[in-house]
Amino acid sequence: MIRSWNALEPHLGFLLEGFALTVAACVLAVAGAVVLGALIASLRTARSRAARTVAAVYCDLFRNVPFIVQLFFFFYGLPELGIYIGAFETGVLAMSIAGGAFVADVIRAGILSIEQGVIEAARVFGLSRWQIFSRIVMPNALRVSVRPMGSVLINLVLTSSILSTITVNELTGTAKIVAATTFMPFEVYAVLLVLYAALTYTLSLAVTGVHRRLNRGMPEAVA
Amino acid sequence: MRYADFTPYDLVLLAQGLGVTLGLFAATTLIGLALGAALTVLHYYRVPVIGHVVVAVTELLKNSPVLVQLFLVFFGMPAFFQVNMTPVTAALLTVSLNTAAFAFVIFRSGVEAVERDQIEAARVFGHSRWQILRRIISPQAAAFSVGPLIGLLVNQLQVTSLISVIGVADLTKIGNILNLRTLEPFVVWSVIGLTYYLCAKALAALGGRLERHLRRSVVWQGL
Amino acid sequence: MIEINNVEKRFGSAEVLKRINLKVEPGEVVTILGSSGSGKSTLIRCINGLEALSGGAIRVDGHDVSTSAGLAAARRRSATVFQLFNLYPHMTVLRNVTLAPIQVLGQPRAEAEAQARALIDLVGLTEHADAYPQRLSGGQRQRVGICRALAMQPRYLLLDEVTSALDPEMTGEVLAILARLAAEGTTMVFVTHEIEFARRISDRIVFLEAGELIVDMPTEAFFSEEGGLAVPRIRKFLSKMTKD
Ligand SMILES: Nc1ncnc2c1ncn2[C@@H]1O[C@H](COP(=O)(O)OP(=O)(O)O)[C@@H](O)[C@H]1O
Ligand SMILES: [Mg+2]
Repeated sequence: MIRSWNALEPHLGFLLEGFALTVAACVLAVAGAVVLGALIASLRTARSRAARTVAAVYCDLFRNVPFIVQLFFFFYGLPELGIYIGAFETGVLAMSIAGGAFVADVIRAGILSIEQGVIEAARVFGLSRWQIFSRIVMPNALRVSVRPMGSVLINLVLTSSILSTITVNELTGTAKIVAATTFMPFEVYAVLLVLYAALTYTLSLAVTGVHRRLNRGMPEAVA
Repeated sequence: MRYADFTPYDLVLLAQGLGVTLGLFAATTLIGLALGAALTVLHYYRVPVIGHVVVAVTELLKNSPVLVQLFLVFFGMPAFFQVNMTPVTAALLTVSLNTAAFAFVIFRSGVEAVERDQIEAARVFGHSRWQILRRIISPQAAAFSVGPLIGLLVNQLQVTSLISVIGVADLTKIGNILNLRTLEPFVVWSVIGLTYYLCAKALAALGGRLERHLRRSVVWQGL
Repeated sequence: MIEINNVEKRFGSAEVLKRINLKVEPGEVVTILGSSGSGKSTLIRCINGLEALSGGAIRVDGHDVSTSAGLAAARRRSATVFQLFNLYPHMTVLRNVTLAPIQVLGQPRAEAEAQARALIDLVGLTEHADAYPQRLSGGQRQRVGICRALAMQPRYLLLDEVTSALDPEMTGEVLAILARLAAEGTTMVFVTHEIEFARRISDRIVFLEAGELIVDMPTEAFFSEEGGLAVPRIRKFLSKMTKD
């Protein structure tokens, strides 16, 4: 193992670059997924039947097709439409879309969990539909969604490794290259496994922190 | 000619790919569930050290990308342990272990849910720990676990798509081949995606029926 | 003035309100009594527009609540306090109170907060202004509910069994505040089972029975032998309510 570490050392900088790209992809995709998810969740609880159907189909479809198939669909398909974006951008787009489907389900549950009386109070006080949605419904839904959303986002981080299949040199991509050049695939991938686990563990700690912050003053049972 | 049109033979290819996907899914499900159950028994007996190791390894498997696990087994193990590894063996091994890790967690929480309630009563009557597990805990824990297990399997079906990356000729790999040959990414990936979608729906429907059936029988038998 | 003319409300085939007529003049405290299921909450919910009328009309200072513009105007003139508080769980006490004044009345934040703090002081919750509702007792929550309503500077206060979810001690806290508001001339439509309290603060009492308004009398008359007590149904109701 000592020998391994010495042999890997020259590649640490490169691996770090890959790690940075993984973080970048995840941060962007998480933002995209949450925005998209909130939007889809709003549609799924909208008054219009058509909007609800479209949103439900979206969730069903993107949850039940393997991510790698979705990724190839965009990676090979977008240029056909004359849309030329880089592999990294395609990856972030695909992750946002797939993640959005899961986030939407979580937020929808949050929206449905709001007490009817609270909404009635807001109506009686004269708040408009939009004000009720943006000031009462959404903040409440997000607050109760943090924990389940956390596990969706952790899955998204694990999913990001699949971007290596469309030439994105994120963490898994760079590790593949290092494994091939050092002839030490076992050591490299073992370290990688632990790295990802550490990353998701850190993320789950952060999720717990955010959950606590957003649920200040809430009894645990409600939160 | 640069482009090659679709041929009727492509349908055969597709069917073969689907066969590989479903076959591998069935095999890894059987192995994974059996292994998961065995690990649960081990954990139930509170074997020192082993119990902790099992928990640690399953956590690692749950919290790292399946793709990296595949690389570790397919590229890493032959290099490190000087063993032969075909893509199919690597795929079987990795996906089975992954399924086992998740199944273990599901079974364990099922057992713990039952244990809290009823162990005391059973102890009083002088049953052995094995009798308790066999006659009292397992039937109920199984009933508890069916719902989450169906969710897991629908997910694992999608996970099998990753084995295409190490060269197993599953449905996704066939998609890759057709995509490269026909340069019709939209058609190819839509068909592949739809096939996965239909499989997932069929699996979920089947699981739902099984769950209802089990519920009924558990209710009928009582304890 | 709140004018309720021939109001009917049906849920499916169930007639919950039957041709109700009632006027509430500014400065009046009108208490609605009636056994459970007689339609008291439904009547309140018709006034604040949470239920659409099946027939008749309700006007608040001339604004018809069945039109959307009329309802918006009516909702600015009245404010509701709920039995189960219905506070916004993700907002502090202060923000619960200032939300509608800022969003609906367009008050500047500083002004809204100053006014809210004054109200919060008034109901004795000064230290809890920045607490979240879940941290408060039921009585404290209901006092926040009252502040939230008063912050709209409503002409009419609608109160639906605001102490029913509270234990006797907390009920006392809340009723004390309502008594003060009544003495200051706040107009109230007050649904309650606190008979003695209603008797003390009300100008008029109306009695609902199975969706019908069977009695509408000045308070003194309502509790007199030849007035309300002469109606067997009311006598029975009052003796039952005051026994326990
Ligand atoms: N949304 C509703 N749908 C159907 N029936 C209702 C609804 N709301 C109230 N009711 C019925 O209307 C009647 C009056 O209810 P309510 O106004 O709550 O009575 P009170 O407040 O006097 O106890 C009851 O019989 C109740 O079951
Ligand atoms: Mg009521």
